[in-house]
Amino acid sequence: MRFSDFTSYDLILLAQGLGTNIALFLVTSLIGLLIGLGWALVRFYRVPVLAQIVTFLSELLKNSPVLVQLFLVFFGLPALLHIRVTPVTAATITLSANTAAFVYVIAVSAIESIEREQVEAARVFGITRWQVLRHIVTPQAAAFAVGPLVALLVNQLQVTSLISVIGVVDLTKIGHILNMRTLKPFVVWTVVGLLYYGAAKLVALLGERFENRLRAHSAWRGL
Amino acid sequence: MLKVENVRKAFSEVTVLDGVDLTIAPGEVVSILGSSGSGKSTLIRCINGLERLNAGRITVDDFDVSKPKELAEARKRSGTVFQLFNLYPHMSVLQNITLAPIEVLKTPRPEAEAIARKLLESVGLADRADAYPAQLSGGQRQRVGICRALAMQPRYLLLDEVTSALDPEMTAEVLAILAKLAAQGTTMLFVTHEIEFAREISDRIVFLDKGRLVVDLPTDRFFAADGGRAQPRVAQFLSRMRKD
Ligand SMILES: Nc1ncnc2c1ncn2[C@@H]1O[C@H](COP(=O)(O)OP(=O)(O)OP(=O)(O)O)[C@@H](O)[C@H]1O
Ligand SMILES: [Mg+2]
Repeated sequence: MRFSDFTSYDLILLAQGLGTNIALFLVTSLIGLLIGLGWALVRFYRVPVLAQIVTFLSELLKNSPVLVQLFLVFFGLPALLHIRVTPVTAATITLSANTAAFVYVIAVSAIESIEREQVEAARVFGITRWQVLRHIVTPQAAAFAVGPLVALLVNQLQVTSLISVIGVVDLTKIGHILNMRTLKPFVVWTVVGLLYYGAAKLVALLGERFENRLRAHSAWRGL
Repeated sequence: MLKVENVRKAFSEVTVLDGVDLTIAPGEVVSILGSSGSGKSTLIRCINGLERLNAGRITVDDFDVSKPKELAEARKRSGTVFQLFNLYPHMSVLQNITLAPIEVLKTPRPEAEAIARKLLESVGLADRADAYPAQLSGGQRQRVGICRALAMQPRYLLLDEVTSALDPEMTAEVLAILAKLAAQGTTMLFVTHEIEFAREISDRIVFLDKGRLVVDLPTDRFFAADGGRAQPRVAQFLSRMRKD
C-alpha cells in the first residue's frame, strides 16, 4: 500500500469531520434559534431601546460575511480583550449569532404576516398580549415560518465548513489533509461534497416532514 | 351605564371626534348613523380601548377605559362584533368562540363549549362547530362573530357595520339575529347604514357629523319632521340613503 492510497481509516476520518460539522450545526442552530426568537419577543413587546439594538445587531450580522465575523471573533476579540478564544468557541459564537440574526428576520416577518385586526379582535375581549402571542400569533407564525427556517438551516449546515479556516478539524479540513496526502483532488472533493450534500438533504427531509405535519394541522387555510 | 363624556380623538392633526357625549343605559338599543368618515368606527374603537383618547372620558360600568388597570374590566363588559368578522383563521368555530371565555373569564373548557354550542344553535350553526372560518360563508362567519362576542356575556354589545360586507340575503340572516337579541333586551350600540333596520330595533338614534354628535333622540323623534329631520345634515343624510 502506498502512502497516497485511500484507506478505510480515511473514511473514519471523514465521518469524524462530518460529525464535527453536524455537532457544531446542531449546537449553533439551537442557540441561534433561541436567541433569534428571544430577539423577536423583544420586538413583539416593543421593549424600548432593546428593540432598536436587536434590529441593528441583526442588520449588522446579516449584511456582513460570516467569514469576516469569524475572523473578528477569533482574532479580533483576543487582541481587544486579551482573552483566549479557542477555534471551537469562536465558531460557536459566530455561527450562533449569525443563525440568530436570520431566525429573527424570519420570525419578525412571520409575526407581521398576521393581520392587526386579528390581534385587535382578541384584545377587545380582554385577552392579554401574552395570550395573543400564544394562541393567535404563534400557531400561525409557525406555519408561515417553517419553510424559510428549514431553508435557513440547510444553508447554515454548509456555512459550518468555514470553520476549517480557523483550524477546526471538520469535514473540509479533513478534505484538505487527504488532498495533500493523496494528491487526488477530484476524488477527495467529490466525496467531501457528497457528504455535505447527504447531510443537507437529511436536514431538508426532516424539515419537510415537520412542515407537512404542521400543514396537516392547518386545514384552516381552506385550500 | 356606558358613558362617553366630552371625548376628543385626533389622528395627528385631524380631529375625528370632537366633544362627543353619549350615555347608554342597560337594555337600550342605540344606533349610530352618520356619513362615511364621520367618526363612527373611531367612537366604537375608543369605547373598546383600541384607540387612546386625546381628551374626555369613557367609562363602562364605571371602569375607565383610559386607565390600564380598569381597561381589562371595562373590556370584559363590552363585546365587539367587527365589520370584517376578524375571526381567528387557524381555529375552529368552537375554538373561536371559547378562546376568550377560557382565557379571560377562566371558564372551564367543557362549560365554555356548552355555552358556545348553545349560542351556535341559536344562530342556526349548530352543525358547523368544527368548521374553520375559511369554510364558511360571509353570513355564517358574521354569525360566528356575534356568538364570539356573546360568549363573553357582555353587558354592552358594540356592532360596527356588521352587515356591510354581506350580500342582501346574508344581511337578512344577520339582522334577524340582531333583532332577536334586541327583543331579548341585549344592550346594543349599533353602527349601521341599514336605516330601516335601525328604525325598527332602536330605542334611540344618534347622528355623528364630522366628529360631532349633533343629534341624540328617541327613534320616532329622530325621524319626525320637527325632530331629527329638522337638522339639515340629517335630512340630507336620510334622503341620500333613501336613493341608494
Ligand atoms: N388610524 C387612523 N389614522 C388616521 N386617520 C384615521 C385613522 N382611523 C380613522 N381615521 C380617519 O378618521 C375619520 C373617521 O374615520 P371612521 O373610520 O371613524 O369613520 P366612519 O364614520 O366609521 O366611516 P365609514 O362609514 O366609512 O366606516 C376618517 O377621516 C378617517 O380617515
Ligand atoms: Mg366605519
